[in-house]
Amino acid sequence: MNRLEATRIVVELAGDAPIVASLGHPAYDLFAAGDRPQNLYTWGSMGLASSIGLGLALARPDLRVFVLDGDGSLLMNLGSLATIGLLRPDNLVLVVMDNEEYATTGGQQTPTAERADLEAAARAMGIAATVAVRTERELRTAVHSRGVIVAKVSESAPTAKPPLDCVFIKHRFMTAIGTQDEARRGGR
Amino acid sequence: MDAARGPANRGPAWAAGVCAGVHAAGVRDVVYVPDNPLSHVLRGFQTAFDDVRLLLATREEEAFGIAAGLYLGGRRPAVMLQSSGLGNSLNAITSLLIPYQIPVLVIVSLRGDLGEWNSAQVPMGRAVPAIFDAIGVAYSRVDSPGEVAAIVRAAAETAFGTRLPHAVLLPRALTSRTTVGL
Repeated sequence: MNRLEATRIVVELAGDAPIVASLGHPAYDLFAAGDRPQNLYTWGSMGLASSIGLGLALARPDLRVFVLDGDGSLLMNLGSLATIGLLRPDNLVLVVMDNEEYATTGGQQTPTAERADLEAAARAMGIAATVAVRTERELRTAVHSRGVIVAKVSESAPTAKPPLDCVFIKHRFMTAIGTQDEARRGGR
Repeated sequence: MDAARGPANRGPAWAAGVCAGVHAAGVRDVVYVPDNPLSHVLRGFQTAFDDVRLLLATREEEAFGIAAGLYLGGRRPAVMLQSSGLGNSLNAITSLLIPYQIPVLVIVSLRGDLGEWNSAQVPMGRAVPAIFDAIGVAYSRVDSPGEVAAIVRAAAETAFGTRLPHAVLLPRALTSRTTVGL
């Protein structure tokens, strides 16, 4: 299973639920798999996709919140696993696209190519539901759960990029999930 | 204003003022990495404002990410941190909050200024205003306990009105007042 194939499965099974994507290839593949207003593409803040998803899950317990992270990105913010393990939101699904490399920057290996195990890390931090998947069938089953899914994927060269306008992405996202942006409430 | 209300054990006046200002601005989610002075604020929330959700982060940058998600979900978030943690936060502020116009009330407990004893706190602590200037984040400094609540509330309203982070700087000369009522 390559990352785009895995991303398509998440988009298909997410329905109308919001999906937060880490910058670079995870965001590019989310756009290629299906641009939808409930997609929050990040263009910076490497490592923070899981934190953004956690905050959103806490703010909106009525929604299932999906995050498409990368192994390199999650390694940059491993403390996020401890916070998720502390709070245990039952509506957060963190999918780590583990291709064992920094694909966006040219394919340098990450520590998961050797001994680092992000699913074990998630479990060690107290996250109740964790699973590592290698096949599309396993991923389909796992996406119906919650917690952390580490999807071992092969790299697939992205073919498209999402909109560059961050404010547009935000407004479209907030409108789609039913959050009223203060900017649209009018002045006092 | 609101700082005058609440139980008698609300702690030092400046900390009660932070709690009152945050609450008056409609902020109900405070993401924090603790430091000593901020412990008084945390206690103030716990004793006087139990409708404020206190969320611990492992690192300041993470706190800003969580706050961003809270805002996208319709909440008015605050982040509380020590000035040393601003160094850990710069990429989150400059590549997430500002370009996406995601507002956060930022409460900074300053180190390195008047009364500092730890040289390791000095370079970042003293650079906080210059760093905020360099990245275009507005900030308001509070010097007397009586004005804390009003400035914190105004900072929050400015942040959420303009959809940009706005920081409140709490100098040591203020936060070292740890006696109840001072």
